[in-house]
Amino acid sequence: MSSLLRIALPLTLWLASFSAIYGLQGLLCSSRWALAGDNLPGRGLLIAAAALAILLQVALILALRASVWPESNAVIRHISLGLGVVALVSTLWTLIPVVAVSHCL
Amino acid sequence: MHPAGPAAAVIATLWWVLLIGATLIFLFVAGLFAWAWRRPAGPANVRRYVIGLGLAFPLTVLAALLAYGLVVGERLLPRAAPDVVSVTAEARQWAWRFGYDDAPGRETQGILHIPAGRPVDVAITTVDVVHSFWVPRLAGKLDAVPGHVNTLRIEAFAPGRYAGVSAEFSGPGYRAHRFEVIAHDAQGWQAFLTGETP
Amino acid sequence: MNALRRHRALTRIWASDPGWKGWFTTVNHTDLGRMFLATAAFFFVVGGILAMLIRAQLATPRSAFLGPEHYNQIFTMHGTIMMFLFAIPFFEGLAVYLLPKLLGTRDLAFPRLTAYGFWCYVFGGAMMIFALLAGIAPDSGWFMYPPLSSTLGAPGINPDFWLIGITFVEISAISAAVEITVTVLRYRAPGMRLSQMPIFAWYALVTAVMILTGFPPLILGSILLELERAFGMPFFQVAAGGDALLWQHLFWLFGHPEVYIIFLPAAGAISTILPVMARTRLMGYGWIVAAAVSLAVLSFGLWVHHMFTTGIPHMGLAFFSAASTLVAVPTAVQIFAWIGTLATGSPRLHLPMLWLLAFFATFVIGGLTGVMVAIVPFDWQVHDTYFIVAHLHYVLVGGFVFPMLAALYYWMPHFTGRRTYFKLGTTAFWLVFTGFHGTFLLLHWAGLLGMRRRIDSFEPGQGWELINLIASVSGFVMAIGFALVLVDVVVNAMVAIRGSRDPWGAGTLEWAMPTPSAAYNFASLPQVSSRDPLYDTPDLPAQLARGEGYLGDPARNRRETLAIDVASAEPRQIVVFPGNTLLPIWMAAITGLFFLGMLLKTYWLVPISAVGVITCALIWVWSLGRRRPEGRLPVGRGLSLATAAEAADPPGWWGSLFLLLADGTFFGALLFGYAFLWTVAPNWPPPAYAEPGPALLLLVALGAGLALAGPRAGHWVVAVGSLLLGAAGIAALFLVPDPSAHAYDATVWVLVGYGLLHHAVCLLMIAVVAARRRAGHSAATTRGAERVSHLWSRYTALTSLVIAAAVGLPGALT
Repeated sequence: MSSLLRIALPLTLWLASFSAIYGLQGLLCSSRWALAGDNLPGRGLLIAAAALAILLQVALILALRASVWPESNAVIRHISLGLGVVALVSTLWTLIPVVAVSHCL
Repeated sequence: MHPAGPAAAVIATLWWVLLIGATLIFLFVAGLFAWAWRRPAGPANVRRYVIGLGLAFPLTVLAALLAYGLVVGERLLPRAAPDVVSVTAEARQWAWRFGYDDAPGRETQGILHIPAGRPVDVAITTVDVVHSFWVPRLAGKLDAVPGHVNTLRIEAFAPGRYAGVSAEFSGPGYRAHRFEVIAHDAQGWQAFLTGETP
Repeated sequence: MNALRRHRALTRIWASDPGWKGWFTTVNHTDLGRMFLATAAFFFVVGGILAMLIRAQLATPRSAFLGPEHYNQIFTMHGTIMMFLFAIPFFEGLAVYLLPKLLGTRDLAFPRLTAYGFWCYVFGGAMMIFALLAGIAPDSGWFMYPPLSSTLGAPGINPDFWLIGITFVEISAISAAVEITVTVLRYRAPGMRLSQMPIFAWYALVTAVMILTGFPPLILGSILLELERAFGMPFFQVAAGGDALLWQHLFWLFGHPEVYIIFLPAAGAISTILPVMARTRLMGYGWIVAAAVSLAVLSFGLWVHHMFTTGIPHMGLAFFSAASTLVAVPTAVQIFAWIGTLATGSPRLHLPMLWLLAFFATFVIGGLTGVMVAIVPFDWQVHDTYFIVAHLHYVLVGGFVFPMLAALYYWMPHFTGRRTYFKLGTTAFWLVFTGFHGTFLLLHWAGLLGMRRRIDSFEPGQGWELINLIASVSGFVMAIGFALVLVDVVVNAMVAIRGSRDPWGAGTLEWAMPTPSAAYNFASLPQVSSRDPLYDTPDLPAQLARGEGYLGDPARNRRETLAIDVASAEPRQIVVFPGNTLLPIWMAAITGLFFLGMLLKTYWLVPISAVGVITCALIWVWSLGRRRPEGRLPVGRGLSLATAAEAADPPGWWGSLFLLLADGTFFGALLFGYAFLWTVAPNWPPPAYAEPGPALLLLVALGAGLALAGPRAGHWVVAVGSLLLGAAGIAALFLVPDPSAHAYDATVWVLVGYGLLHHAVCLLMIAVVAARRRAGHSAATTRGAERVSHLWSRYTALTSLVIAAAVGLPGALT
């Protein structure tokens, strides 16, 4: 089971942070919460959330590298490390819009 | 594919870029496939295929494409500008009703009047099911969702008549759920606002 | 005992009942896999006929062949059948048939569940076909957007068939997914570690987990929409606090992973077949596993790209545009690894390879147009046009149907034991391939010219006539091709000459048995030490037939196989399978009555059939295991093991765990829906929130405390906790007496209803465990059942706390 968790965890973390930041952005832009606008704390909050997501991914890679959970199967170890890198790249790639795109239009 | 407004024009350019890029990539993959087929059996470098072709190649192409797409997307957003005209579009099964901020109380059925050469923000909503506002030659489409008001920026280069359709399936009357956009020159627009032309 | 006598003894134990009766009582995966595949092929033909009607209608402008009332039903049913009644069940059928053979075991983890899932699929599919024949089929498009699919747009019974029929069919998807997961994890041949599994097993595992997490949002959406239609609970009605966009989110939360649920098994087949056709081994096994996992998880972060035109802010769209471009990368990794595999080998152009070539040509184009529509502004222009129709057919036919035809021709000698003899298949291939591209290539252009999807006819003079005429003619060419494939398969299966055991020279275990396979698969189970056991030990089939593997001795006279440890692949338990039984088909039929009662609004039928289903379930579990422990029994090769009935983690516990994964996703989707409405829907907050008093809170705290006290405190404590929590739930309903007043009230009812249902299940489980003890079962043989029951109790207690918070907090905060 821990082999499977090693494999599933990195990208699941990506999915969780990605969905959470999408939700946060939707929330910030929804009329009811009225934090809209490009210069308001909204963007700062999003950037902070994205930074946290990236940090978590890096921490996960380090945890997978260090023998926090030993894994005897070399193929599984390589796959899970590779997926850790994939998840980090995915996080960076999919969160680019936080700094690059206008906020609530 | 015969753009008559700035939004449709940049999207048409985008399409030609995409088509040429996609064709080149397809030919490259097909060529590689043919080469691999004919190559005599023997060990091959896994990293070249997986990292070089599988990872680096698409990531480069996609990064450029994503950046291009986001820039184009940003350009098409309904930003505040001094000469923007605001109109409203209300869909129902199977008709469209349009209103005009510059002429309060004025309503038209099935025909949307706009000034040519000026950006127009269409505030789109619906009274029943989901519809979609689409004038193919002017811009992309935007849905009319119950309880929500979505704003689409359209603009026509020149005066004329442009066909519009609802582009979200809405039941038996869907095929005929059309409207028309009439773009006026400056005089014609003034005349329309003051009620001189229908 | 010689090989022939062993074969006879094992066949007597494992064979299905003779004659037609065997079809209804069989629980054997080989039979059920074939039945799944045949039924799915039948639905493919039905969906194909509907497609022909569509192309006939659109061949010429202003066609008077079909009116919109019929046309709307036809295109809705075409999409629905192809997605839910063909593609997913076809994968299930292939996995049901192949997995145990690939993994070196004798059946799937829960044979009766296979049969139950199959019959649910058949009965649910029959409901849909009945609706089609009666002219009351769903007509709101296969993604059923409300309000068009709700009472406002469709007051008739049509959408109810979709919502109820498809939910019924999805029981089979969920049960197959649980089985596949547990089978891959626990039922591999001894010694086959995860990294030595055949690549198809990885794909099947990934796909199964995707089904467990992808289908629940759809099932939830269907239930909510049916509740709105039947009882006026306004989840999607904006005036009463609902939001039509909630459906779109829930639907596409399922709908996008669905595309990869369809593609990944096909990719698994390609990764299996291609190396054999190229006489080499798969390049980059680890990379491909990583790519499949990446694809699976990334696909859950793409759903909004079906909603680019719904008015979501540009940054939100940009997230999903970025994710949608990214998903092309793991796909590219697989494509180039396959091309690399070809480069290392020397390919042979047999029929399966021909279909793989068609896959490459078609799927690459579909993938490239997929990247195009991931670019937001381009999608604004082509969304809901024939460009999308063409794109999705390139992806689904290119990425699923063509590889599945390759798989069909590759495993045909295995299914039938015959050599493909007649050359009709090549002709059929060219008709399908040219017909397909003739139909769909030009339709991209029609979409760019502004042709919307789902219009029942079109006006001349827009430049669409020629394109549509070519598409229709080619569509019929393709249909003739598919008909020839069917004829080819049937003729070859009936009359071709007997073939050799491993005609392609493959290395995987399914070829280590005589074909067509015996009911028991392997006369004895192999010890595996590599990915291609047949390449290492060409003599393996004979060794297994001689009984030199595990469980080669049929003396215990019952259906036995081995369960292994997940990571080390050491054999751990003997699993004793049930024999032939009518129970699954009865239970599926009574489940069908339950859904029929809902459909026809004859609500007295619903509780009666619910009791019937529970009765069947009780008979089902009662027959498991023996009263007295048997201790360790010899399994061959000098090893002795106890049966799974005496283990602390029997396969049933693992099955429960993965069922709870699906259940938890369902609950998560429900909470997401609640949060979505709360934050986004217009007309919130509701007129009043529920304000639970201190007595109710105390009841919840006490109940949860007792229920979580867990195994140590004993069953009765847990049962009392469950009862208290249930009572608290019923009391909470009195705080919001009218579920049709506002979406908030409706959501509270669904949340509480979810909790109550689970408490009922937990109480039943506790009762069953207690009854087993009373009936004289020993502590050893009830240990597994107790742990299953505790797993459910714990889950239910925890979700009850979340429900209590979700119901009570808004009132407490405001």
